[in-house]
Amino acid sequence: MKRFEDVDYFSDKALPDDPQPYFEYLRAQGPAARLPQRGVVAITSYDEGSAIFRNEERFSSYNAAYGPQPLPFTPEGDDITDQIESHRDGNLIFRMISTFDPPNHTRLRHLLKGLFSPKRLKENEKFMWKLADGLIDEFIDKGSFEIVSQFALPFATLVIADLLGVPEEDHKAFRKIFDSLGSVTGSVNGPSKPENNPLLKIEAYFVGYIEDRRANPRDDVLTDLALTKYPDGSLPAVKDVASLSAFLFAAGQEATVRVAASMLHILGEDRALQQRLREDRSLIGNFTEEALRMEAAVKAGFRLAKVRTTVGDLDIEPGTTLMMCIAAMNRDPGRFADPNTFDVDRKNARDHVAFGRGIHSCIGAPLARAELKVTLERLFDRMAEIGIDEARHGPADNRDYRYAPSYVVHGLTELHLAFTPAA
Amino acid sequence: MQITYIESDGTAHTVEAKSGWSVMENAVKNGVPGILAECGGSATCGTCRIYVGPDWQARMAAPTPDELALLEYVEEERSDARLSCQIGMNEQLDGLTVHMPERQYS
Repeated sequence: MKRFEDVDYFSDKALPDDPQPYFEYLRAQGPAARLPQRGVVAITSYDEGSAIFRNEERFSSYNAAYGPQPLPFTPEGDDITDQIESHRDGNLIFRMISTFDPPNHTRLRHLLKGLFSPKRLKENEKFMWKLADGLIDEFIDKGSFEIVSQFALPFATLVIADLLGVPEEDHKAFRKIFDSLGSVTGSVNGPSKPENNPLLKIEAYFVGYIEDRRANPRDDVLTDLALTKYPDGSLPAVKDVASLSAFLFAAGQEATVRVAASMLHILGEDRALQQRLREDRSLIGNFTEEALRMEAAVKAGFRLAKVRTTVGDLDIEPGTTLMMCIAAMNRDPGRFADPNTFDVDRKNARDHVAFGRGIHSCIGAPLARAELKVTLERLFDRMAEIGIDEARHGPADNRDYRYAPSYVVHGLTELHLAFTPAA
Repeated sequence: MQITYIESDGTAHTVEAKSGWSVMENAVKNGVPGILAECGGSATCGTCRIYVGPDWQARMAAPTPDELALLEYVEEERSDARLSCQIGMNEQLDGLTVHMPERQYS
């Protein structure tokens, strides 16, 4: 048995394949546990974690994507708010909306509201059905497919492209930019090179779109995006709208793709459950919530204590990194009965925090839910039986699955499925 | 200033409310159960619904088209429903009493 006290969660190569025993080890230490390495405090309690997510006054999101790396400043005094704000320039990772605090976060998030309106979501869902079929057509004759690269990734990419109003003639180019998931967020192998970041290519496209629509407004979604103002009536810089748009691709892809793979993994292994869902499609909604609870694609996120405070039984100094263990919060026995069992009938499955809580909770959650529903509906419609491809993953008693080598992201790197086309 | 939130089973929660916070924020930051607010106040999730009587509605700004569209999208059927994240707390609303649905999602 592994000695978890010696494990560095942020570089251990084996944990990503099976992180739950480690989270259970942390939970046994209380709602919050101080890790021996890097001064990080890990939160595993549902109630404690939810309260922190909802307390942006005390806890900054500055390090949400930066994780446990040393801060670019030395925390001083009882309140480090000003230090945080004066150390954002220069590093892309501190300029994403997910890392902003109020009032700047509030202004920026306001720009996104029109995109995620019910009207826009309904239009977008129509596109999803068509898109799903087009992608399935590409491999329906083959009898097998790899769901991450052949379906979920192009699906998620083009759904966001459609949401943002990217013209259809550019969809092919967008798909090519994201032809693989590329470098994983929070890699246990260390940070990736910024020049490999596909989001910079996306940003360049959007700078072009926004400049064009501001010069030549027309009746389309990109014009709405280009002309959306901050709550105070001022027009945002083109670059800011472009990087926000690019961010939506990152946010809308990795997580949705991983959860889609998790869902098919569960259904490929549990054929009786698959049959039950096929016969009663109304179960798909709660199945999706339970999959999100059990296999949240973001297993951990981060917050930075701005002031002196307490979490659980621990005294927290300003500048302390908190690791919000979403994968552990979602299996807190105080919140979820028999938490390690997948129960499609679980009454409170949707209480999970896979989309976070508070001001930074995933604005695209309704979109992700629709995507996952359309994915299952169309795969069920077009394929009579979906199973694990044993030629790629081995026999039922000896499977070989690989997970993203990350301390943030949880999910299969690839999942090969075999199927019989529907009659 | 106070707000009272009443659960569907009649349990009441009265909080000392802060001006400038929305009715949703005053609930979640005081630990009132029954207001989920999954989207954190962006009017995109419909999980902070409350029911507000006509006397109190008269003292609030009417719902915007966005708020109404979302209430329709989440299939809310009651005409006195509001999104608590879209109602700013102020002195005119001191003593506000609101009711909460049994569940914020189906």
